[in-house]
Order: sequence, then C-alpha cells, then structure tokens
Amino acid sequence: MNIDILHQPDSAIAKLDLAPGESITAEAGAMVAMSGSMQVDTTLRQGGGGLMGGLKRMMTGESLFLSVFQASDRPAELFLAPKLMGDICVYPLQGNTLVVQSTGYLANTAGVNIDIGFPGLKTFFSGESLFWLSISGSGTVLLSSFGGIYDVDVDGEYIVDTGHIVAFEKTLDFSVTKAGAGWIGSILGGEGLVCRFRGRGKVYCQTHNPGAFGHLIGPRLPAR
Amino acid sequence: MLTHQIHHRPAYAQLELTLPARESLLVESGSMAAMDSSITMKSRMRGGAMGGIQRMLSGESFFMSEFTAGDRPGRLYISPAIPGDIQHYQMRGDRALMVQSSGFVASSPTVELDTQFQGFKGFFSGEALFLLRATGRGDLWFSSYGAVLEVPVDGDYVVDTGYIVAFEDSLTYNVEMLGGLSFRGLRTGIFGGEGLVCRFRGQGRLWIQSRNLYSLVNFLNPFRPTQSN
Repeated sequence: MNIDILHQPDSAIAKLDLAPGESITAEAGAMVAMSGSMQVDTTLRQGGGGLMGGLKRMMTGESLFLSVFQASDRPAELFLAPKLMGDICVYPLQGNTLVVQSTGYLANTAGVNIDIGFPGLKTFFSGESLFWLSISGSGTVLLSSFGGIYDVDVDGEYIVDTGHIVAFEKTLDFSVTKAGAGWIGSILGGEGLVCRFRGRGKVYCQTHNPGAFGHLIGPRLPAR
Repeated sequence: MLTHQIHHRPAYAQLELTLPARESLLVESGSMAAMDSSITMKSRMRGGAMGGIQRMLSGESFFMSEFTAGDRPGRLYISPAIPGDIQHYQMRGDRALMVQSSGFVASSPTVELDTQFQGFKGFFSGEALFLLRATGRGDLWFSSYGAVLEVPVDGDYVVDTGYIVAFEDSLTYNVEMLGGLSFRGLRTGIFGGEGLVCRFRGQGRLWIQSRNLYSLVNFLNPFRPTQSN
C-alpha cells in the first residue's frame, strides 16, 4: 500500500493506494473520497469488561466507529482526513504497543490490533469524550494532530499536558498528576493535569490543545 | 485570463487580481479584503429576486458585489470567509462547472451563474447540498476549507458530500446513502454520519477539500453551554 501525506502541516490529508484485496481500517468519519469500487463496512467498537464495563463505557463514551475499506479485484484509492486543522503522522508499528488518544487516531493497516480503553488512563476532561486506544501488532498507524505534531525521545522523566498528548510508546511508564505543587494553584493557573512519563520511548505531542480550543469557543455559541 | 496570483496557499489563500481599466468582476459579498481606491463597488442581486432568494437559502449572501476598475487598472485582494485554498478555473464555453455554493469566490461578468437546488435529498442534518452551475466563458475562482485537491475521474468515484468543492458537469452524479459507511442510529447528536455520499460517473475533473466545516461544528457542539431550563 502506498501512503502519501499531502498538504502538511495545517491541511494534511492522506492519499492511500490499495492493491486488489488490500484493506485499511479508519475512524468512521475520516473518509473524504474514494474509488467507486471500494467495499466499506462500518462497525461500533467498544472496550471489553462485561456488563459493568459496558455501563462504564456508556458513561465515559469509550466507543469508536471504525470503517474497514477493502479494494475489490482492482486497485482503489482512498482519501482520509482528520476533523480539525492539523497534521498527519505515519507511525510504523513493529510488534510494539502504542497508546493513542482517541482523537489522535486516524487509521491503521491490516495486522494492527486496536483495544479500546487503556487501564490507568481515565477520562480527564468533562464535555469531551476522550479516551485511549491501545494499538499493537505490525503495520502502519496514521496519527492526526490538532496543529503540528512533534515527537520527543524520552530518556528518564518527562512531563506533557494531557491535552497535548497524541500518542506514546508503551515502553514508557506514566502517571497522571497535577502540574503545580498545589491542586488549587494547578486548576486556577489553567495548567490542568499532566502526564509524567518515565523510562525510554517516544511521546508524540500536538502543538495545540483541542480541549482548550473548544472551551474558548464553546461558551460563545448558542446554548444546546 | 485576468492577471491573478493566489498567495498563502493552502491554509490561508488570498486572491490578488489586477482589473484592467473599466473591466469588472463579480465577487462573493463580503470577501473583498483590500483594493485600490480607483475601483468602485456596486451591490448586485444576481439572477433577479428569485435567484437572490435561492442564493440566500443555499447559505450564501443575497447580494454579490461587482467591482469595476476606473480609467486605469486597479488591484483587488479577495479573501474567502473560511481559511483554506483557492482554485482558478478557465471557463471555455464547452462545459459547465458545478460549484458547491458556499465555495464561490469570484467570476468574470461573462460567466453565467445559476443556483441549483438539489432537492431535499441533500437535506440531512443540516448538510444541504446546494450547487452553483457556472456556464459561459471567462475566469472563475472557488475556495475550499483546508487544501483543495484535483481528482481526475474516469469511471466511478465516491465523495462524502461535505468534501465536495466543484466538478465539471461532464460527470453525472447522484446523492446516495452508502450503507457500509452509515452509523446513523447508533449514536445521536452527530451531524453527518449517515453515509451520505455523492457518486460521480463518467469522465471529468473533480475538486475535493481536505477539511469539512461540519466536522468542526460537531467538534464544538459538546462545548456549547446547556440551556438552564
């Protein structure tokens, strides 16, 4: 499969050329355009955890619509784009695990497995359905960012605001803490919760925080 | 062809034009950013009162602006309301161009514009599909949200209705629900998601955009205040 990322960094769009029979999975709303011969199937994917898990998922919105695109007996092309202005990053997965924020996931090739919900990372914000995906296997993952995307090689300790995390390699240990010394200062100061990473691995960050953008514009809109 | 340049592509495109003496140009209302003081502006109701009402229904402004250069050439800067790209298209009189109605930027006075109401089949969750049909000869510019991409269609091609910018009318098209893409009924409160697509057939050029305004609207929706009662 040939993957081209066009119009980076602000208006990025992915063009994928699929050989006959090849398939790709993408976040359901990501399809922009495609060959008429492409076969599509959309399903609702939810995290595991039985009945209680199901109830919890309904509360936290930990579900994801995924569309599987498959080329028929002829080559087919597909354009995928994220929702907000920003970039797309191609991550080659080689048997390792990547933890991805739900809004940072765009697509993956065959051979990649997605588990919804990541133990230890809870929904941090109200108003948004934000959750985490645990992506493993071998293949290609497409990540999307609000604004630019940059990676940080962590060796030791590193802190990233939760709203700026796109994805991180699972080789890293992490804990969610407040940014400042005191809770009140942390909240009033606008620096909310941060992720403190420990160990070695890559963290992918976005230059802009979708939650901050939403909280700035939302109150200026008419009530629901 | 009018002398023109498109600056700051693809995210913040702005059109710079030089109007020859006494020549005029039709521009989407409200999108003039700057101009030489020798240029005069006049509001026009394109296509008469009925045409104006149709344009208003399709989310465009009721009026268009007509800019006319004086006794010497004048320079004009045009900025679409939405950040994105601008594309030029040369009308040669041989085929019509269909433009998603809010994507119209400017055209020569010799280009005829006609709003085509696509019927209620396009009216799902506010995602109406209104198209402007441009015919005749001259220059035409249209704009996109995000980058604009040209797709040469030969055969059968599917585009999510929110991403259509323009297409040549040598292509036949129909709006349909693509069952495989649909997740309607599984979750409420989402604009779109019905798998509403436009299927194009034949040969011709098609332009798509890399972002969709409805996605931004959907993103912002949960951040709106809730009514207290």
